[in-house]
Amino acid sequence: MIIVHITALAQALGVHRNTIRNWMKSGRIRARSAPGKGILFSRKDFDDFCQAFRLEPEHLVFKELSLPLVPATVDAAPEEGLNHVPSTSREDSMSGKITGAVLVVGGGIAGIQAALDLADSGYKVHLLEKTSGIGGKMAQLDKTYPTNDCAM
Amino acid sequence: MSKTFEPVIAGFLCNWCAYAGGDLAGVSRLQYPPNMRVIRTMCSGMVHPNLVVEALQRGIDGVIVMG
Amino acid sequence: MVECGRHLNIEIHTLSRVTEVLGKKGNFNVTVEQKPRYVDMDKCIACGLCTEKCPKAVPDEFNMGVGKRKAIHIKYSQTVPLKYAIDSGNCLYFLKGKCKACEKFCPTGAINFQDQPRKISLNVGSIILAPGYEPFDPAKADIYGYGRIADVVTGMEYERLLSAGGPFQGHLLRLSDNREPKKIAWIQCVGSRTKNCGNLYCSSVCCMYAVKQAVVTAEHLHGDDVSQTVFFMDLRSHSKEFERYYEDARSRGVRFLRTRPHSIMPGKNNIGVSIEYTNDRGQRVEEGFDMAVLSVGLQAPPDALELAEVCGIELDRYHFAVTESFNPVATNRDGIYVCGAFQGPKSIPRSVTEASAAACVAGRSLLEARGTLTLEKTYPEERDVSGEEPRIGVFVCSCGINIAGVVRVQELAEYARGLPSVVHVENNLFTCSTDTQDLIAASIHEHRLNRIVVAACTPRTHEPLFQDTLREAGLNAYLLEMANIRNQNSWVHQKDAEAATAKAKDQVRMAVAKAALNAPLSRMTVPVVQKALVIGGGIAGMTAALEFAEKGYPTILVEKSDRLGGNAWHIGRTARGEEVRAVLLEMIPRVENHPEITVLKRAQVVSVRGSVGNFVSELEVEGKRRTEEYGVAVVATGGREYQPEEYLYGRDPRVMTHLQFDEELRERAPSIHKARSVVFIQCVGSRQPGRLYCSRVCCTHTVQSALRLKEMNAEMDVTVLYRDMRTYGTREELYFRARELGVLFLRYSLASKPSVFQEGGQLCVEVFDHVLERPVRISADYLVLASAILPNDIQGLVELYKCGVNEDGFVNEAHPKLRPVDMTVDGMFVAGLCHYPKPMDEAVAQAQAAVSRAAVLLARERLQLDAVKSYVTERCDGCGLCLDVCPYMAIRLEEYEKEGKVHRRIATDKALCKGCGLCEATCPKEGVMVHGFTLDQLRAQVNALVEAL
Repeated sequence: MIIVHITALAQALGVHRNTIRNWMKSGRIRARSAPGKGILFSRKDFDDFCQAFRLEPEHLVFKELSLPLVPATVDAAPEEGLNHVPSTSREDSMSGKITGAVLVVGGGIAGIQAALDLADSGYKVHLLEKTSGIGGKMAQLDKTYPTNDCAM
Repeated sequence: MSKTFEPVIAGFLCNWCAYAGGDLAGVSRLQYPPNMRVIRTMCSGMVHPNLVVEALQRGIDGVIVMG
Repeated sequence: MVECGRHLNIEIHTLSRVTEVLGKKGNFNVTVEQKPRYVDMDKCIACGLCTEKCPKAVPDEFNMGVGKRKAIHIKYSQTVPLKYAIDSGNCLYFLKGKCKACEKFCPTGAINFQDQPRKISLNVGSIILAPGYEPFDPAKADIYGYGRIADVVTGMEYERLLSAGGPFQGHLLRLSDNREPKKIAWIQCVGSRTKNCGNLYCSSVCCMYAVKQAVVTAEHLHGDDVSQTVFFMDLRSHSKEFERYYEDARSRGVRFLRTRPHSIMPGKNNIGVSIEYTNDRGQRVEEGFDMAVLSVGLQAPPDALELAEVCGIELDRYHFAVTESFNPVATNRDGIYVCGAFQGPKSIPRSVTEASAAACVAGRSLLEARGTLTLEKTYPEERDVSGEEPRIGVFVCSCGINIAGVVRVQELAEYARGLPSVVHVENNLFTCSTDTQDLIAASIHEHRLNRIVVAACTPRTHEPLFQDTLREAGLNAYLLEMANIRNQNSWVHQKDAEAATAKAKDQVRMAVAKAALNAPLSRMTVPVVQKALVIGGGIAGMTAALEFAEKGYPTILVEKSDRLGGNAWHIGRTARGEEVRAVLLEMIPRVENHPEITVLKRAQVVSVRGSVGNFVSELEVEGKRRTEEYGVAVVATGGREYQPEEYLYGRDPRVMTHLQFDEELRERAPSIHKARSVVFIQCVGSRQPGRLYCSRVCCTHTVQSALRLKEMNAEMDVTVLYRDMRTYGTREELYFRARELGVLFLRYSLASKPSVFQEGGQLCVEVFDHVLERPVRISADYLVLASAILPNDIQGLVELYKCGVNEDGFVNEAHPKLRPVDMTVDGMFVAGLCHYPKPMDEAVAQAQAAVSRAAVLLARERLQLDAVKSYVTERCDGCGLCLDVCPYMAIRLEEYEKEGKVHRRIATDKALCKGCGLCEATCPKEGVMVHGFTLDQLRAQVNALVEAL
């Protein structure tokens, strides 16, 4: 996956950012928006695009992500997300290796609960917290409703 | 009597509520008179009436069952 | 939280962030950057000396800047890990190159100024993102004078002001003059539901936190001049038991004003505030308050963008993670899941539920690697102490200065040495620290101790730790006794060292007396039947069954009707616009054809025996009985739409409920297309005496239908009669759009409900308009009633399982915040509408969460029960008095033969017994006792106390 900054692209093509967005909507550019001001191309689409507009790819690439292709949700039918991939899908068993560990980012009440559930059912958990201690926002609350229990 | 009377009170506290409340009082630093001695039980209903009577007979000034 | 810190299989990386995620589901390589702590975690014993000596004080972010902390600090006193950290941005050494006071005073040499940032590489199979939220900061937009006026604070700051662990130790003071405020105002929707700051969504939690703060404030402050006022737009108490809480707040005199204040001006000398608002008669009012609390909303954390980019996941326009209703914790990248407020603003129970749901799906895909990286603790064989004289070791904890600051610990230790059977006494700075555990173990071996007394904090938090230490040293866990000389002594008698020391001596003496009688107990283990039962075949039940099955557990799905799907058959689309029927048509065959799922239709549970891990039930299936064993059960019995008796429902075909109108839209859209006027009435059967709860989904449903009508025919008059619009979260956007498209929203109050009548064949609705102050008459071609959601009647199940329902008939959870899907009966879990009205995505998340919690039990394979259980003594003569008092029905009467005569005595079921001891207190002959709390043990404590007299 390739992320290109929309401003850079607009400058390179000499058009307004919104024009790029419109082109994306209309399908003239095969890409979709990424978090922030980036737009996301697949490698092939990006190469095709650069060729069509005679652009130098090196000047544009904001970041190249070596990710598996993210399914473009824009095109996806709503039902598609429902196909729970069974645990022993062909892809997994072919790659051979599955790691029995989970990374949980965030040591608030949600992160803690997820970590405990996983650790108690047979998985190693790495719990990541950006401050010096876990507990998150809930630890800051005085009492919780409706029972007025202590939040700790 | 030169000293004021300070009673000795035996407190039977339920592990799940009153004893937890006692802990919480500590966490909250609530100050109270130091006359009670706590005996932790798994339920206030665990305290046999005979035990209460025995305690009083043997000279304990008061018994409090909390739960 | 403490559990998390101690868990063998959880590694906590603090001060860390993710910088790179490579690989794919099942096998990710994650790079983590860890900032230096400058404190060696292995050496730090959290004594607090460093903080005491640190000369640099900075605003404490944990207390929201109210109050100070030092540059070397812990976040709060119960934080995990309880290890200090230097904040290099404020530390004098890092700023000016000298100081190092902490290094000088640290007794263990834990300070390390040379500490460097580290890169950690982690190999994981799944990733769960739960970075939480950030409270909206009103200072940035100069809202209501926040930042300029001292007595305008945010809700989060107010939490800290109220908290016993906060800057004023729980004594509520305002910031301008440090005096107790009497008259306090709350202002809702600050940073939510407004275009101004870009947050169009409703933050979902602020209404209730403001109501809670008002109620708690009323408990803090007393006097006739104390008052609480909440300024709000719509009051959104849409979760379980919240409506009742809100009504209770109103009856306690909390004033609720439906208006958005125009501005806040400082009071005289910048003390107090003056709020300008328009009252319900349209007059401008200026009212003085001692303090104003801004109920700030929730927004995505500032690092959300970076995290999303690193992980390659999609965010919405507010930077919340994008998910789907039927897959509520999955992101667009396979193997990466989200939960909590990062997915959208939400309350604690929903966050906890989603966390378990994320754990469920994250674990599901790693099934074959389960248990490969985890460790299991092993213990040495227990020493047989039977027949040994008691040899008691006493460990007196100073707890830093927590205990030693009040109780004279040295004197206490000396005193303990003189007590009967005590052969070894030690005083430790922190008895709970890891190195002391080794010390205790060494003493046990050296002095052949066979009973241990720890005089420290409360057994409720620390007994498991010390029991573990005993087991590691080869002693039975139940040979431990604790004397609570912190929570119930030094902390509550801080002013009286003399009396506290005397009390501590009594406590230790009593503990020693009891410990001498402690006997080794064995914990019973029972095998866990690796099977699940799911009751109810709606969306929640089917989701649960599929999740169990995907984890490899055989599952029985019991459905009372003759088809799966439940209410979902009648619902058009979810709030996100997904077609429900399509999902159903795909899901049902998957459930029915799954090799691990047995679907039983026209079936019900008729009997239950056993308990967690080993339930046995008789099921009646189409009139025939069959017996099934299972280890866990999920209750997903669902709910139904209330059939109104009001508003001409059933008497005029133009009056219909939401589900009927959905059907009408599906089947007869053209005739609706022609309608000139459609009216919706909200809260039909909800939020009124007898059914004091909000049905949660109807506001969104109405707004969705209204939008659909407006899209069909923009000329159509669409009117919604409501009490409070409760389109929480990003559903608020739908409400906003409906208003833009010209849907008319008229508010009515419970006291003046609309009236519906026919006039010349016309259907008319009349409602009192609060703005015009007169009744308004609307003719309607269709009248749609947003009728309540009722729980299905499960009285039968409640009696069978002895579980609880609340007064509305919804299943009770074990704890409303922290265990939202666990039921009050161990081994049982709840999901879907039978718990509370909820939309599809929440029901699915709850079902996944229920499976996650249940899987924790199933994963154990054998279940260990606490050894504190009742047992029968020789003196039982079978009088049976205890049978009636046992709340768990764990006692039965049995007959046996001795010397040719038939005798009776009781027998207890250890799996059912919870060790409450009601039997012990009832028995007139000491015929039944509870291990660890026998009459002799309690008596020994009383006797030891008497010695002091």
